[in-house]
Amino acid sequence: MKLPPLRYNFRSLLVRRATTILTVISIGATVAVLAGIQSLQKGFLSLFDESGREGVAVFLRPGAGSEGESAFTRDRADILMKTLPEIASGPDGLPLASGELFLAVRMPKVDGGETNVPIRGVQTKSFDITGDLLTLESGRRFEAGTDEIIVGRKLLGRILGAAQDDVIVLNTTPFRVVGVFDYDGPFNSEIWGDADRLQEALKRRIYSRVIATLKPGVDIAALSARLENHKEVPAKVLSEKEYLSTQTGFLSGILNVLAYVLGGVMGIAAIFTGTNTMLAALSSRTKEIGILLALGFRPWSVFLSFLMEAMLLGLIGGAVGCLLVLPLSGIETGTTNFDTFTEIAFAFQVTPTILGNAVLFAMLLGIIGGSWPAYRAARMRPSAVIRRG
Amino acid sequence: MIPWKLVPRYLRAHPLRSFLTLGSLTVAVFLLCFLYSVVTALNAGVASSSSSRVIVQSAVSLYVNLPLSYQPKIEAVEGVVETCKWQWFGGIYQDRSNFFAQFAVDHETLLTTYPEIEMIEGSDEEFQRLRTGCIIGKNLAQRFPELGVGKTLPLLGAIFPRAGGEAWEFQIAGIYESNSANVDNNTMFFHFDYLEESMDTGTVIADPGVGLFVVRLEEGTKTEDVQRSIDNEFSAGPQRVQTTTEAEFQRQFVTMLGSVPTLMGSIGGAVLFAILLAVINTMMMAARERTQDFGILKALGFQDRAAACLLVAEALLLSVAGGILGVGIAKVTAPIFQQVMGTTVPGYDVTSHTATVALIIAIGVGAIASLVPAWQAARLRPIQAFRAEG
Amino acid sequence: MSDSSIVLDGVIKTYRKGGEELRVLDRLSLEMQSGSFYALMGPSGSGKTTLLNLVGGLDQPDSGTLHVAGLDISSLSNAELASFRADHIGFIFQGFNLLKPLTALENVELPLLLTPLSRKERREHARHALDLVGLADRAKHRPGQLSGGQEQRVAIARALAVDPTVILADEPTGDLDRDSADAVLDLMARLHEEFEKTVLMVTHDAVAAERAKKIINLDKGRLVSNLDNPGAKAANSPSGGTT
Repeated sequence: MKLPPLRYNFRSLLVRRATTILTVISIGATVAVLAGIQSLQKGFLSLFDESGREGVAVFLRPGAGSEGESAFTRDRADILMKTLPEIASGPDGLPLASGELFLAVRMPKVDGGETNVPIRGVQTKSFDITGDLLTLESGRRFEAGTDEIIVGRKLLGRILGAAQDDVIVLNTTPFRVVGVFDYDGPFNSEIWGDADRLQEALKRRIYSRVIATLKPGVDIAALSARLENHKEVPAKVLSEKEYLSTQTGFLSGILNVLAYVLGGVMGIAAIFTGTNTMLAALSSRTKEIGILLALGFRPWSVFLSFLMEAMLLGLIGGAVGCLLVLPLSGIETGTTNFDTFTEIAFAFQVTPTILGNAVLFAMLLGIIGGSWPAYRAARMRPSAVIRRG
Repeated sequence: MIPWKLVPRYLRAHPLRSFLTLGSLTVAVFLLCFLYSVVTALNAGVASSSSSRVIVQSAVSLYVNLPLSYQPKIEAVEGVVETCKWQWFGGIYQDRSNFFAQFAVDHETLLTTYPEIEMIEGSDEEFQRLRTGCIIGKNLAQRFPELGVGKTLPLLGAIFPRAGGEAWEFQIAGIYESNSANVDNNTMFFHFDYLEESMDTGTVIADPGVGLFVVRLEEGTKTEDVQRSIDNEFSAGPQRVQTTTEAEFQRQFVTMLGSVPTLMGSIGGAVLFAILLAVINTMMMAARERTQDFGILKALGFQDRAAACLLVAEALLLSVAGGILGVGIAKVTAPIFQQVMGTTVPGYDVTSHTATVALIIAIGVGAIASLVPAWQAARLRPIQAFRAEG
Repeated sequence: MSDSSIVLDGVIKTYRKGGEELRVLDRLSLEMQSGSFYALMGPSGSGKTTLLNLVGGLDQPDSGTLHVAGLDISSLSNAELASFRADHIGFIFQGFNLLKPLTALENVELPLLLTPLSRKERREHARHALDLVGLADRAKHRPGQLSGGQEQRVAIARALAVDPTVILADEPTGDLDRDSADAVLDLMARLHEEFEKTVLMVTHDAVAAERAKKIINLDKGRLVSNLDNPGAKAANSPSGGTT
């Protein structure tokens, strides 16, 4: 089967330049919105999905969904940290385990209003457990037992008074920012300080959770099952990776719904526009189609040729959408992560997969929009067409 | 003189194209209404806040409780009529995905501090009488049809777990309806006394304390004075407090959303842009097809503006129809969205303000879209029109 | 209205095509008497259609003067030209140029919108005009449902309806078969004889030209001849009933 040359379709799009451009931009805007939301979601999820480690265990109170809901008294946390044989030991022979206090504190935002910034009181072993993943961008670590804190990089420029050497008053106690740290994960939006000092200042003499590096080969599920009914310290255990993945459902779900609802609804509009454009192509080329058919091209070929032109339109629209969304890549934004109810900063992450899907979606829009006009074109009778022209 | 009769005839001459353009416009207007309504709903709490109430909460954190001993001290401040404790309960009904808000409150003062709350089923007396009684919002009752007056509502305590790990059981004494956006219809309220009692008897493991106090002020009291007095009362600790007006309190939750409203705004902009292009596209196609007809009209002696007016009228007719349809769909689907997004965006509603704005935008799109084609049609010389045809 | 209803004096009209200047009318001077039937002949590119467009106020001369019905066409603004067309000119085109979304009756009624007639009077006029061309029974038909000959007769009815001074026809029979063409030509002749219109018809067709009272020949934008046609035939039948 012979198709009319593709060059013909290119030329046809070029001849109806204004219409083509408008349709392309309209399809482009649609896929750009879809891809934009997806890259936002990707940026948010990657913070949680990619930074959690399998070998690090998070101990929470049974029934607690997040560390904000969880609590251990200090002595019970001590029992966990010191008696579990599954916990690995550091070079100093002490268990690699740390009790952490977690609290979302009110902080003023740079652009007005206030938000909930997670503050984490840690023991020194927390640094050993995070290891090289946590790096200092400026300043130094806080001195154990002092009223010093370090802040995550992403808080800079978003939260007022959270820069190097600033003083943050927690309840009634002033804390000095002595360093800024970077961590490729949600810790990046947190403030860290000495657990004992923060417990004192915040009048919260508990640990929210215990984290620990486990010995290689430890079965976390089995450990969790064993501790669930522990008579002194009932606890549930998750790997850090698993824990973080439970902290994204709500916001991620909203973004998902937003992406699909908007993509769907705008897609319908884009299909309508595409159909209109192809109908215009049809009416301006009635005569040419008649001639093609009279020359002996099969109706099926005319159908495919039209469909290909619509697909081409979609392809160009998809490319335009990608160009529209690419500049978003890396732009930092922030909102409340509703699972932890704390402020989280993340960047748009435009990935090749997202761009690929955007182009495919655009082509699909083109095909759907083009199929009815293509069908009409194929069903034309050459005689009728030529007489009409 | 303008041959108006041609406008509907032209629209009918290309039924599919008119339908598709109308469809895109309808979809876009619906989407705009939706996004605008979400943002409106997010701000509704702020707008409908009462000025006769202030909220006292920890200055440190949303999660830090205030000592119970603060209550009499607050009540002693001049201008304060009464207070009501609110404690976030965070219980789980069957599954985490069934999330809704639950508060332990002073049952005696809940309905007096919030006259916006009305019982539509069951009774306040029953709520007062039952130690384990609770009231639930009407949307909640719709969402979970198994929960009716007289039924038991079991909740697993995440923040307040019972010692044995079993569920809390509350008796539903009533279903309420709030006629104001600052209290949503998706919340459950129960007796704070019951919670406190359970903590006293050791069946519950948690710190005693209260999340916030809602304070009702005397008529005519200066809110700022009361706020200052309460803040000063506790400025030295043990927990500093933050006393805000109800509007500020609601606004805190909106600002926590960070970039979400901006995101909604930019999406709305993109939708508008895409749809504007689509309508321009249609009008250009229409104008191109009518080149010859406009030439004929001019040859017959119609003035230049006649052709332009026909195009503008066609675009306006489409956009007004699309606007009305889009707003209509948004209005009709509003109850569905209220149900689906009850906990996420409580108070979602397509207000007449939203509808007006959407209609104006739709008409604007029609006007802008027909501007260039109309101008070209006006400038067209009849002999060019005939040449284009040949 | 002067008795010479169309007067050209030294009219020059130039078009630009592909960067080349094309002088379509070259100092053309010509007088056409009111109430006569002119056939305008000449080879392709001789300026026939351009002359027709100038007389019809669709275009204006570059220099020289053109008076139609006592009005100086070259001095009129766009809006005044439109009013001039509405008041004085009836057009009949080769391609009929009816508006496809309107019925035959509505097409005829269209230019009447520009007159002070009431809605009812417009209807009556349009029906009457349609009756004159023998298409009263086709009033509700759309152009797509009519034959070429019928379409052209509707177009004639439209040109006639407003009672113009001058009727301009550009190859009115060019797209028609002989029978239809004859019916149309009969109508053209009647316009002139019965209604005393000035008719100016561009044509290639010698048979068509035979019906005119006077034949003007143009070549390369200049007047070759402007002669009486002694063999002019009168209309055969009062109402061109054939299709």
